[in-house]
Amino acid sequence: MSLWEYIADRRDLLLFEAVQHASMVAQCVLIAALAGVLAGVATYRRPRLSGLATSTAGVVFTVPSLALLGLLIPVLGLGVAPSVVAITIYALLPIIRNTVVGLSGVDPALVDAARGIGMSRRRSLLRVELPLAWPVILIGIRVATQLAMGIGAVAAYVSGPGLGEQIFSGLARLGGANAVNSALTGTIGIAVLALLFDACYVLIGRLTIPGGVRA
Amino acid sequence: MTLTESAEPATPAPEPRLGRSFWLALSPLCYLAIGAAMIVYTQVTGLDSLERNSLGLGFIVRRTWEHVELVFFSTLLVLAIALPLGVALTRRGLRRATPAVLAVVNLGQATPAVGLVVLLALVFRIGFWIAVAALVAYSLLPALRNTMVGLQQVDPHLVDAGRGIGMSAAGVLFKVELPMAVPVILSGVRTTLVLNVGTASIAAFIGAGGLGDLITAGVSTQRNLVLVTGCVLIAVLALLLDWLGGVAQRYLSPKGLS
Repeated sequence: MSLWEYIADRRDLLLFEAVQHASMVAQCVLIAALAGVLAGVATYRRPRLSGLATSTAGVVFTVPSLALLGLLIPVLGLGVAPSVVAITIYALLPIIRNTVVGLSGVDPALVDAARGIGMSRRRSLLRVELPLAWPVILIGIRVATQLAMGIGAVAAYVSGPGLGEQIFSGLARLGGANAVNSALTGTIGIAVLALLFDACYVLIGRLTIPGGVRA
Repeated sequence: MTLTESAEPATPAPEPRLGRSFWLALSPLCYLAIGAAMIVYTQVTGLDSLERNSLGLGFIVRRTWEHVELVFFSTLLVLAIALPLGVALTRRGLRRATPAVLAVVNLGQATPAVGLVVLLALVFRIGFWIAVAALVAYSLLPALRNTMVGLQQVDPHLVDAGRGIGMSAAGVLFKVELPMAVPVILSGVRTTLVLNVGTASIAAFIGAGGLGDLITAGVSTQRNLVLVTGCVLIAVLALLLDWLGGVAQRYLSPKGLS
């Protein structure tokens, strides 16, 4: 059976798994983006705290995803829960780091000027600092999404949803018919999803980065 | 995954910063203590027969050693390929190909590591060297990009100056460009190491051994202790190698650069 026949045969299942994969990644990244930006905003004025946040993030980041997923199994069991938690944790890291980097990279003179024309601290954060830091934060979110795609593939090992299931069922049928087709479909499908998401970020960047900030 | 980065070269991998020398020695000692505590615990606690199969001291040591071997050989191969290739691709004749190569790199980054590992095993066969090949295939691209970016960001004036005082092209490469690019290249090596520890744990799926074996054994026999031991040891190994990479970055970078 050729790859095309394999895909055509299982069109519905594959489409379902792809949508599951994409929606899992999108939801996890959304949660991570909200939490990460909040954490970044809360800590960026206190160098010691933001140092702690980024170095903790770095340590967790170094732990391989399969190990973290495995550690979550005794606590959360198999299925959606450990996958979502692991993906969200990994997605948090680049977002926190880029938020801190982006916000502390804003020219202090501009913040001073904002305060000088009578903006409150919150207003200056919302109207001046966050828009200026947004391109960097967006890159963090984009990196987080790419990570989440890959970890979503591993998450199928703990019975998580998504296209990773194709890869593992291919492995389970090692030597059998369709083993390669199955693994190939999963791998290519996830790569295509990742590239589609990446294209979305380019678009989001175009739409949300203020004209004056764009290089 | 990892450690994976986006299209923008402006995004360096998240790196835990290394502090003073006291702190420098403290974190690996902590990691080692955690790993040792885990192993000691598995040895003194009561085990059933299934757990004893996967948690014997000899078994753990052998799996750890396999993991280290997987990481060692794949990282070595990646360096042997990425460094000369990166240098070649930034030379005058091939420089025009750089954007194309970087585009391929980004495409490769979108491919999930598990998929690559499993596919190689399905197409060829199961085993240690196939796993090494998968690890190399996965971590080659980021290492290559770091080498190229490192060399590209060297100030062209310095290259010019080198040529101006009569250095040959090779002289400029070895005495100016490569030393200036060392920090970026080393951070690429560090990323490669950590990435390989993670991918090597996936290699257990295709029968290449390593500590991932404890994870698969723990999941299939529903023994959480086996599972957790595997996870903790993999994490400790990744953190230790990352620390080693950080130390190398600190001491191998040319002194005048920082």
